[in-house]
Amino acid sequence: MALDLNNTWAERPAGMRDVFPQQARLRRNVENELLDLFQQAGFDMVSCGAFEYVETLTRGRPVRDVETLVQWFDAVGRTVALRPDMTPSIARMAAPLIANGRGSVKWSYAERVYHRTSDPASLSWASGRAAESTQVGVEWIGARGPEADAHLLQICQRGMEAIGLREWQMVVSHASIAPALLETFGVEQSAIEGLLADLTRGDYVSFQETLRRLGAKRDVLKQFALCDPFKPQTLLDLIDPADHRPCAEDARRAWQELRDLAAVLRDVGLTEQVSFDLTLHRDLSYYTGLVFEVFSPGVGAPVAQGGRYDDLLESFGAGAPAVGFTFEVERVLAVLTQGAWLHGHEDGHGNGEGELC
Amino acid sequence: MLTVALAKGRTVDDLMPMWRRANLPAPESLDDSRALVFDVPDERFGILRMLLAKPADVPAYVSLGVADVGVAGKDVLLESDRDVYELLDLGVARCKLCVAGRPQEQAERPRRVATKYPKLADAHFRRLGQQVEIVGLSGSIELAAVIGLADRIVDLVQSGKTLEANGLVVFEELLDISARLIANRSSYRMKRQQIDVVWQALDNEVKSYE
Repeated sequence: MALDLNNTWAERPAGMRDVFPQQARLRRNVENELLDLFQQAGFDMVSCGAFEYVETLTRGRPVRDVETLVQWFDAVGRTVALRPDMTPSIARMAAPLIANGRGSVKWSYAERVYHRTSDPASLSWASGRAAESTQVGVEWIGARGPEADAHLLQICQRGMEAIGLREWQMVVSHASIAPALLETFGVEQSAIEGLLADLTRGDYVSFQETLRRLGAKRDVLKQFALCDPFKPQTLLDLIDPADHRPCAEDARRAWQELRDLAAVLRDVGLTEQVSFDLTLHRDLSYYTGLVFEVFSPGVGAPVAQGGRYDDLLESFGAGAPAVGFTFEVERVLAVLTQGAWLHGHEDGHGNGEGELC
Repeated sequence: MLTVALAKGRTVDDLMPMWRRANLPAPESLDDSRALVFDVPDERFGILRMLLAKPADVPAYVSLGVADVGVAGKDVLLESDRDVYELLDLGVARCKLCVAGRPQEQAERPRRVATKYPKLADAHFRRLGQQVEIVGLSGSIELAAVIGLADRIVDLVQSGKTLEANGLVVFEELLDISARLIANRSSYRMKRQQIDVVWQALDNEVKSYE
């Protein structure tokens, strides 16, 4: 009989996934292609330990994010956690350098990151939050302005080219526009938070119901979606020209920033696979400007994502603007192999398609 | 091509008249055969492929990209908590998520709850500060209350006839449920025009009822 009722073999912890010969090679190839490209663009590779104090990880972030951390107590009773992404570690490492007068820090990394989840790995790699996954990305501290943002998007697009990802769509927005506009429309601060959470989750039904309940006369979702940075009036018409409250000025200023970025992108010919969509909102509340996500067919979550977080470094002791993004390597591999990579086995992943460059 | 996953049973039965009125492509009949996949040629989509799936599986089909869009009840969306865009409340296949049980249990403290919705049931009783034991079952939930496996059930109630036939009553209504149009996150970005056709056509139908 073939059924092993005695549990002879060691079990793999929930959420973990073994990666066999050809799969592992393929993943390392993608990491290397991206790291090489980042190196050429002037981003030096750094690395650090896989766990940080929870206090470090939650600087500049809402405390509720702690729920998804894999955490425990160290020998002296402080809470430590596996990093959910590299940004806090890099901010921790860079802050003293910035404080000591270094003007800019350009670093790249390729590391595993960790979350608490109950989904099996092959599912969560394709969509949602994986227990363990690989991020390859860059952080650029000390740079501001539309040229820096556009340069970062360019590196991201070159990354897609380098690893052979052809079908993709980059969706770009500005983190301050949606909240400022909602405030301009008279929505209470307490309700804005819920509405932004709806946008992050993509629950447009709840977004519209909430606004209807608050007595909104307009179809805010449609108006957001129609805002086109190449047609400035599409947004400016939504605000009374005589309105000079701080929120109205914030919305106009953020809109101008997005328009400046769009103009630079067009000048350097990067807009072909880019769409602007103010309904795009990312879950980390520390974003202060550009936010973007890149989608590819076959996986239900972004293959790359990033944004600008000008206030985060301040909470690490040295104020400096910063912008960064990361590739989600397992999702990239799922797209490149039409899903075959996720189901590799001990004899190799048994699929000849989707070869890397 | 656009692939649509539809929740079999009442959701799709309630949806199809609206789907046809919205002038969206549909096969002659979904229920005369035992087929689960239907390809309908249409100039706007090339081919519109319809999948008939078990209601609880629709969010998984859509979040994993097997289907670009889907129609499923708000109950399974909440219970499955998958990463999908929720585009539209279709207002069909309406029902209520309720706590029910045998009348003599109503005054008693809840102890054991049988349900297809363990997550939602747990959230409800936790909110009340009541410690209960949740028993996850996959169908005929009423039976659990009738034979005394549980003193409460949390389930969908449409007309109330099934409860009545089994001598059960509604203790509390928790949530209004209706069918929702959902979309895969990547499809929403890559096939936006095709998804907008479906979204807009159904939205017009929904508005014409309001």
